[in-house]
Amino acid sequence: MAELLTLTLKVNGEEKTFQAPAHLSLLRLLRDNLYWEVKCGCEEGDCGTCTVYLDGRAVKSCVTLAHACAGHEVWTVKGLGYADDLTAKLQKAFVECGSIQCGFCTPGMIVAAKHYLDHDGRADRKAIREAIAGNLCRCTGYQKIVDAIYNVACELSNNDLPHNSKLKTQNSRLGLSGSPLGGVAHE
Amino acid sequence: MKNFNYVKAPDVRGALAFLDREGDKACVVAGGTNVMVDIRAGKMNDLTLVGISDIAALRGIQEEDGKICVGALTTISELAASTLLAKQAPALYMAAKVFADAVTRNSATIGGNIAYASPAADTAPALLALKADVLIESEGGKRRVPIAEFFTGVNKTLLQAGELITALEFIPNPYSAFFKIGLRNAMAISVATAACAVKLAANGVIEDCAVALGSVAPKPLRAYEAEKILIGRKLDDDTVKAALEAVGAAISPIDDTRATGEYRREVAPVLVKRALLKASGICVHESCKDGEGRIQHG
Repeated sequence: MAELLTLTLKVNGEEKTFQAPAHLSLLRLLRDNLYWEVKCGCEEGDCGTCTVYLDGRAVKSCVTLAHACAGHEVWTVKGLGYADDLTAKLQKAFVECGSIQCGFCTPGMIVAAKHYLDHDGRADRKAIREAIAGNLCRCTGYQKIVDAIYNVACELSNNDLPHNSKLKTQNSRLGLSGSPLGGVAHE
Repeated sequence: MKNFNYVKAPDVRGALAFLDREGDKACVVAGGTNVMVDIRAGKMNDLTLVGISDIAALRGIQEEDGKICVGALTTISELAASTLLAKQAPALYMAAKVFADAVTRNSATIGGNIAYASPAADTAPALLALKADVLIESEGGKRRVPIAEFFTGVNKTLLQAGELITALEFIPNPYSAFFKIGLRNAMAISVATAACAVKLAANGVIEDCAVALGSVAPKPLRAYEAEKILIGRKLDDDTVKAALEAVGAAISPIDDTRATGEYRREVAPVLVKRALLKASGICVHESCKDGEGRIQHG
């Protein structure tokens, strides 16, 4: 059995001390310690569902060495949802826009979206797609996820939501988003 | 059974001491985006992981004495957000913009990309075109290796046990560009890449140039014969045609899961041509105009 080494880091604002083998990923460290909101997908840095916030930037926890995070600050989607207004807004928008189907990609999507909006991300659908390009979703076809992030970006930039936003949300629920009725003309 | 040890290097001196002590049992971990995948796949074992990610001195982009110095721990996100690089080294900036995906770019570092020496490393052709030097330190001292000599094969470099890449340094060249073709618009390991840098005289004659390619040989490489054809001539159709033929002779692409060697032979000269024209300020193709080094899909 590989030797266990001690590390201390902040998770969701609380200082925590763990024992972990040297090579353990941040993903495994978090899940082994009951942070189950961080999902384990491909474990190769491809799918992005394990994305967490480390020192104010989104990283894929499966390709992050746990011990390298000693002394640093990690936030999971759950911690952010309680502590951070922007994340809470994103979560609400994801629900409203029907951006969640099976829900497996959602924790990573929300954290990647938060990173985008925290770093001067604008209400620009192309840029939003770029920002979540490392997060795979096999259900939604991405359109509704982009809708949700776009709506929050509009809200943040103090621009009112596009005047047809209500229609857009309804159409999203009906699966019509992206169609001529889906209101993509107001980007 | 996986068997690793871990030490965190507080500074460069500390890192060099660890690397010296552990010798070829040491594995430097920066962003972790390659190392963690290899550990999980069982490709490495019985090593001491030397964590260098907290060494602030290895991070950042500086312009000094007419040179740009990029610290080895600078993330690809930082490269892609650099207005200095966008102006003074567009080849590297364009490569950073299309590197993996936005979240991976927050972890991946330029030093890691070079040290891992994948034939498909996206920053490599850009640094080759900019004729960058790899700055290396060890307990024994410092050395500087032109990047064209640094790669020796697939995942192989001149880096010796005990040595650490500390920075990449190059003379700025606003007349440089990079293009990549992958299987998708993001999260795509390159099918082929090309970067070019040129120095044009007032009459349009190419005084100096560098042509580099990735994913078309066991290592990222320069097409020296193509460069020889270009230097001293104007960038007209005949010159470009002759140079692209020389590019074809310089590469040795293989079939893999991403593309056939035959396909790579077709697209590599196209990428070189676009990079060459973009670098020279002549844009002929739609894909060259948005300032991103990527051939768009869809």
